[in-house]
Formats: sequence, structure tokens, C-alpha cells
Amino acid sequence: MTAAQLLGEGFTLLISGMGFVFVFLTLLVYATGFMSKLVMKYAKPDPVPSAAPQAKLTAAPTQDNQLMAVISAAIHRHRNKDK
Amino acid sequence: MEKLATLWYGSGIYNLTLGQFVMIFICLGLLYLAIRKNFEPLLLVPIGFGGLLANIPEAGLALNAVENAIHLYDKPQVIQGLIEAFNLSINLDAGKEAVQEALGHFYHGEHITSAQHLLASQIVQDGGYSNGMLYNFYSVAIASGVAPLVIFIGVGAMTDFGPLLANPRTLFLGAAAQFGIFATLFGAILLSSMGLMDFSIQQAAAIGIIGGADGPTSIYVSSILAPELLGAIAVASYSYMALVPLIQPPIMRALTTEEERKIVMTQLRPVSKTEKIVFPLVLLILVALLLPDASPLLGAFCFGNLMRECGVVERLSDTAQNALINITTIFLGLSVGSKLMAEKFLAVETLGILALGMVAFGIGTAAGILMARALNKYTDMTINPLIGSAGVSAVPMAARVSNKLGLESNPHNFLLMHAMGPNVAGVIGSAVAAGVMIKYLG
Repeated sequence: MTAAQLLGEGFTLLISGMGFVFVFLTLLVYATGFMSKLVMKYAKPDPVPSAAPQAKLTAAPTQDNQLMAVISAAIHRHRNKDK
Repeated sequence: MEKLATLWYGSGIYNLTLGQFVMIFICLGLLYLAIRKNFEPLLLVPIGFGGLLANIPEAGLALNAVENAIHLYDKPQVIQGLIEAFNLSINLDAGKEAVQEALGHFYHGEHITSAQHLLASQIVQDGGYSNGMLYNFYSVAIASGVAPLVIFIGVGAMTDFGPLLANPRTLFLGAAAQFGIFATLFGAILLSSMGLMDFSIQQAAAIGIIGGADGPTSIYVSSILAPELLGAIAVASYSYMALVPLIQPPIMRALTTEEERKIVMTQLRPVSKTEKIVFPLVLLILVALLLPDASPLLGAFCFGNLMRECGVVERLSDTAQNALINITTIFLGLSVGSKLMAEKFLAVETLGILALGMVAFGIGTAAGILMARALNKYTDMTINPLIGSAGVSAVPMAARVSNKLGLESNPHNFLLMHAMGPNVAGVIGSAVAAGVMIKYLG
């Protein structure tokens, strides 16, 4: 491939690639907006306000707290049993 | 005495080449950055260590059985067999170096047929040679395309599309930031056409993807388009992701005014669970309709996200986010390390890749910011342009940088959640860009 051909190819890819990314994401914007509207219109509202699904990344501490509570309750009961 | 000599000729010191010596230092440098400077340690520790292993002289951990047989050169009948299999006119009397050179050249050349390939593997297997450990990891994890896709399942399971769904138009920022990818591709082509570097268009595309700031996507694309550059591309990609807090802020400050940085964005609306469940399916349908070539990456991503949001497979989602992604990262890192062999890595091209990767990052950041400014100015949306830079993926580092700069200008302005929208849009955008590249050039 000559240098000019290579350049031409690169330029085509630059324009068409960037164009396609934009077209795809624009369609996604509209599809998402449409989907959200439909869902809000027809689906039942969430029973619980949507605070729970957020911040999943730090799910471990809460589990630990629960675990700690259960363990300490068990130890407490065990100790009281012998008295 | 002869025994001693054999021991000496088989030792690492005797066989260490200059290139290997340099590479060992580079890999130690990577380990230093990962351990002391906390540069993407989850990836750079396995990559650096894999690189060390790959450069141990004579161990041939990153070579396949045939390469090992040629390199070790200790069984004349195997070498003779290979010469016959390849129909070479060279004779064993020509001396070790000449024969190795001829065999290696033919084995990696274009004229070898698949039958000869198969025959060569059979000959060396019968001769008792086997593939190196890292070579096996590489074939299973990367050459097959599996590891980056499994990581994408995990990334999907960790991604919250809530901020994106609350404000879908931030997807435009994720699209704009992909300009870095295509501009860099063009830059690499420009360098080659001027004769400064020698990149094919496939290689240029693989280098451009560094600008997507998405490790697994870069690895996936370069494993398909330019496996020979994979080591340098992966290292560049992960190093720059670690450097996001240093690379982005100067560009962000240069392209925004103090007034714009102070803009407070309206609170995001709450997003219902149903929307979050339906979104990955909408995305997948769109991919299926428009760009099936992006479906491995985005399919894995949507699958992971659906597991997270549907709420009935907690266990699977938990595994994908933790155990699965961790195991895969170990093998992915070691496999990438296997590509850090001296003869492949120490080339002018590597410097070119590092430089172009940096440019890709910068252009992507700038394009995202400019797009955000345009949206702010010409539409009814109030957007703080700082969140535009989060359109290069690098989740969640880029969003944190936007947040930090916002707080510097206005201590009550928390942009983190707003920046998460373009941030995850960037992941989708770079996967789409990757699909386009694979479609055109794969």
C-alpha cells in the first residue's frame, strides 16, 4: 500500500468510525429515553425508594456488621447458658 | 571439569542477552511503580512479574514448543526433522547460529503452510519439548479472546447505569471522547506515511484504542488486529489509566473557564429498578441490530450488568464482580507479561506506541470537554464541562478527577455522580469504536 493510499484509508476510518460511534450513541440516547418513558408510564413504581441498589461496591461492611451482630448474640447466649 | 562447563553453559548468567537484561530492569520498574506508587497494582504486578518470567534466559516460558526446540538446540534429530519439514536447503554443518536463524525465520515467515506448522509441532512434541507456561496462559486467556471478555462480564456486574439513565444525553460525552481513538489512529498512519514509524493500518487501530482508556478493550482489539504489539499496548494502556489524575487536570483547566467549572448541576432523578433491568437489553438489541462485531464485548458487558440489576442471581453477580474477575486478572496479567520479551518489546515502535497513547488520552479528554461545553451552550441542559473528560472510560478514576476539579472551584459542587454517566458511556463508546475497527480491519 502506498503512503497516499494508507493516508486515505486512515482518513476514511477516522470519519466513518467517529460518525458511526456518534450515530450509535445518539440512537442509544433516544432508545433509552423512550424505554424510560414507557417504563415510567406502565410499570409499577418501586416498592422501596431506589437507595439500595447504589454503592454496591462497598457491600461488604454491612454484611460484616450483620455477621458481627449475629456472632455477638450467639456468644452472649452461650455465655449466659452456663450460669 | 566438563560437568562444570555444562553447568556454566546452561546458567542464566552465561545466556543472558543484553535485551533480556534491559527488559528485566523495565519489569522491575513496572513492579516498583505498582508497589510503591500504586499504579494500577492489580494489573501491573502480574504484568511486571510475567515480564520477569518471560525474560529468564533459557527457560523459554513465553515460547511455544517449536521455538523452544530451535532455541535450545540440544537434540540434533529434532532440528534435522524441522529442517526436513520446512524443506530448507540448510545443513546441520552450517553451524548452530545459521541453522537457528534459518529455522526461526521460516517458522515466523509468511511462507509456512499450516501443514508444516502442524508437522513442526508434532516433531518437537515427539522430541519431548513442550510449550512454556506463559505461552499456554497466553493462548488460553488472550489469543482465544476469553480473558478480556470475562473481565467485561465483571465490569458489567460492577457498573451502575443509574446516573446514565437519569441523564441519557451524557452519552454524547462518551461518544465525543472516542475522538481520541480515531485521531490517534490517523496520527499513527501519518507517522508511517512520513516514514518515521512503520505501522500497518491494523497496528494503528490497535494503538488508537489506548485512547479509549479501557484495558480489556485495548487487549481484546490488539489480540485480534496486532498481537505483536500487545505487550506495549497493554502496558501503555494501564500505565496511562494510572496517570489519569496527572494527565487530565491541565487539559481540563486549559479548556474551561472558572465560571464554567463552578456550574452546579441539578440533582439526578431517581431511576427505577425496571429501567435498570431493561437498559442492558435495549443496549444489546441495538448492538445486535447495528454492529454485531461489537457484540462479544458489549454482550459480555450487558450480561454482567443484567446479573447485577435483575436481583435474582446475587450469587452469580457477586462471583462475577469478585472471584471471577480476580482470577481472570491474574492470568490476563501474566499473559500480557509474556509479551514483554526483549526481542519483541525493545523496538522504536514501543516508544511510538507510548507517545501516541499519551496523545490519544489527551485528545479524548479535550474532545469530551469541548462537547460538554457545546452541550452546555447550545442546548437547554446545564452541564458542567468538567464532566466531559470522564467520557474517556477509565472508570471510576476519570469521574473522580472531574469531581476533584469541581470541588476546587466550588467546594459545594459534587460532580461525582454526574460524571459517572459519561464515564460508563465511555465504556460503551470505546466498545463500539472497537467493534467498528474490528469490522473494518479484522
